[in-house]
Amino acid sequence: MALDAPPPQPPAAVAGVLTETRVKVTSGFHGARISIYGAVFDSSDQPTDVVVVVRGPDQPLRIARKVRVAGIWLNSRPVVFEGAPGFYRAASTRPLGDIARFGQLRRLGLGLDHLNIATPAERRVETRYGVRDMVVSGLGADYHQWRGAVIRLKQAAGLYSADADGVRFVDEGLFRAEFALPAAAPTGVYRARIILFRDGQPVSIRDRTLTVEKAGLERTVYLFAHRRPWLYGLVSAAMALAAGWGAAWAFRRS
Amino acid sequence: MDLYLPIAEMSVNAPLLVALGAAVGFISGLFGIGGGFLMTPVLVFMGIPPAVAVASLSNHVAASSISSVVAYSRRRAVDFRMGGVLAGGGVVGAVIGVEAFRLIRLLGQADLVVSVSYLLFLGVIGALMLRESLGTILRRRRGETAAPPRDRRPVLLYALPFKVRFPRSRLYISVIPPIALGIFVGVLSAIMGVGGGFILVPAMVYLLRMPAPVVVGTSLFQIVITTTLTSVLQAGRNQTVDIVLAGLLLVGGVIGAQLGAKASARFRAEELRALLAVIVLLVGLRMGLGLFIRPEEPFMLMSGMG
Repeated sequence: MALDAPPPQPPAAVAGVLTETRVKVTSGFHGARISIYGAVFDSSDQPTDVVVVVRGPDQPLRIARKVRVAGIWLNSRPVVFEGAPGFYRAASTRPLGDIARFGQLRRLGLGLDHLNIATPAERRVETRYGVRDMVVSGLGADYHQWRGAVIRLKQAAGLYSADADGVRFVDEGLFRAEFALPAAAPTGVYRARIILFRDGQPVSIRDRTLTVEKAGLERTVYLFAHRRPWLYGLVSAAMALAAGWGAAWAFRRS
Repeated sequence: MDLYLPIAEMSVNAPLLVALGAAVGFISGLFGIGGGFLMTPVLVFMGIPPAVAVASLSNHVAASSISSVVAYSRRRAVDFRMGGVLAGGGVVGAVIGVEAFRLIRLLGQADLVVSVSYLLFLGVIGALMLRESLGTILRRRRGETAAPPRDRRPVLLYALPFKVRFPRSRLYISVIPPIALGIFVGVLSAIMGVGGGFILVPAMVYLLRMPAPVVVGTSLFQIVITTTLTSVLQAGRNQTVDIVLAGLLLVGGVIGAQLGAKASARFRAEELRALLAVIVLLVGLRMGLGLFIRPEEPFMLMSGMG
């Protein structure tokens, strides 16, 4: 069992830092590259593994499947996933399957196969039976296909990724992991979790946060549009009409 | 040169959008249509979320249309009274359409409804317009006189109550058909994310029997009113109007629309209609094609909770 006595070695620990903790999204924003540097403090000489997981803010997500009805391709009823990370990257020193067992990866949500996505609304009704990891829902056996599709589509958009070679030791005990934030990455608070594994068990975990926020004019416009939506609507409509009218006048003069 | 759109939350190539705005603006000014039916598919194809594309476009279409309306009204080619009646119906229709579309989106069938509407309306209207305008062109080439005078006074227009004089259009007809037309176009414009000019222009010619010279300006005038309202509604209810996106399209759009409106004076009306018919038909078929082709990716993500 995993709950046995902790390993009796001297405590190993991991530390890490992000090269940037704040990413400002301005008008020229087209993505960012962020590095995580970290160190492993370990007096024993047992092999250790490092996994770095960056998870963006959770967002509700709807996904539909094309089905053919009478020769026409239609959308099925959409399935709602209540919270899927807006960004996900798992980097490690070795393939995750070699680092820890299935159950451990699932518990920690490591890797694209195991990342936590809040389950479809349909399924929650069925969890009353007390069966937690069984899918007995309207989606039935298709559940894995739906979940797989979410991950595949997010991967295609550059938002989800896994790299079994993404954490590299640059010096003894000093490692580095790098990840690229695409322009489509959502704003919000990101959590970078650095996990030190020994013998398939997490022995030290560090969490770091990264804030992606709009800045400058973008932020002003965004806040205006969301805090005073009706005024924003009136102002933008007035601007549009004035611009169109002005252009007509300008052309008449010329 | 990439620019980040604050509401769409993505970066786009700015010169490309300005060029797109200019191209669609030119077509808009030339034919007296909002151009939404061309722009919406292109923006969605570029990866802009459909809800943002549709809402920002209504803002953009309002701007480019008003610049054309000013140009047309100088030539006394706008029937403001008829435009006002149509817009009255359009306002009612837009509100109905926005609610209906919300429901359809919650059911996840927005794609289907949009594709079918494009295929059906653009296909039918494109085909009808093409037939009529080609017929007119051929008759003129053969040296025949214009189509037989329309002396049949449609019962629908003249027998209904609430008759109103429309001096600029030289019509004395019931207001019920224009209001009904306005409502219908308003609903469609909310569902398809377009101004509705491609329906209005032929409907005004063939159903209301308005004289061709005032049709384009009047339809643009109606479009200005409904799209302005839609843009305010969309911003207020859904926060989906991206002013930066609309602005980029506008820079090209107003210039294109002016050039288009000037160019339109050089062409015969039926030639313009034939050209528009071909464009409408192609877009309709392209949008409808997706219904019959097996998708490469059977799943699709939909943004947010709809």
